Amino acid sequence: MPERTITVASSVGLHARPASLFSQAAAKAGLPVTLTNAAGKTVNAASILGVLSLGIGHGENVVIAADGDGADEALDTLAELLNTDLDKE
Amino acid sequence: MADEATPALTDLIAPTSIRLTETATDKFDAIRKVGAALLDTGAIDASYIDAMIERENTISTFVGEGVAIPHGTLAGKDAVKTDALVVLRFPDGIDWDGNEVVVCVGIAARGNGHIALLSQLATVLMEPEKAAALRAATTSDEVYALLAPEEEDSA
Repeated sequence: MPERTITVASSVGLHARPASLFSQAAAKAGLPVTLTNAAGKTVNAASILGVLSLGIGHGENVVIAADGDGADEALDTLAELLNTDLDKE
Repeated sequence: MADEATPALTDLIAPTSIRLTETATDKFDAIRKVGAALLDTGAIDASYIDAMIERENTISTFVGEGVAIPHGTLAGKDAVKTDALVVLRFPDGIDWDGNEVVVCVGIAARGNGHIALLSQLATVLMEPEKAAALRAATTSDEVYALLAPEEEDSA
């Protein structure tokens, strides 16, 4: 299954605003995407509660994975989001 | 990164910060009431309420399960004196950009404290029965029981 390991760039970690933007993008991907934190816990990336429950801080390594048509493109898009400081205006 | 310094949600909620029969005309009215409850605890300066409105304008704090988590912007953090949570329940529901919100959990946190707090809160809300119980809570004791840390919290 295609996956990407990314270091979370948002200075505040993956919380409210960055988490919303990320899970909305994951929901739009059109295929199931999972998000796994450094502790090895995996959630549905399209669930904001799931993403928040991981308590991901700045600089933490996370893994996103997806399977199916367009998985690579979807993961590239999501990886780019995580590589961006989403809390910066 | 869950170090032992992370307080439990319930440690940050004063009994007077659980208000279960609130009403609001719209989501911004609700956020101002959440802000007023935080102000009453002495945890914030009034300017934090404006930071909460600003945050909501940037992106909705609706998280699903009939719950929103109003909190300030990064710039608003200077207005936070101590970490605190408030729980306001709006039994009639509030239209939150097309979603219905019944419970607002207002958050004031300095530094990165909010990450661990949000993680604990989200973990509770991910259990549909607990989320439903929170939406239906009529006593502070129920709210405390729902938000209390689970024993299996190892790591």
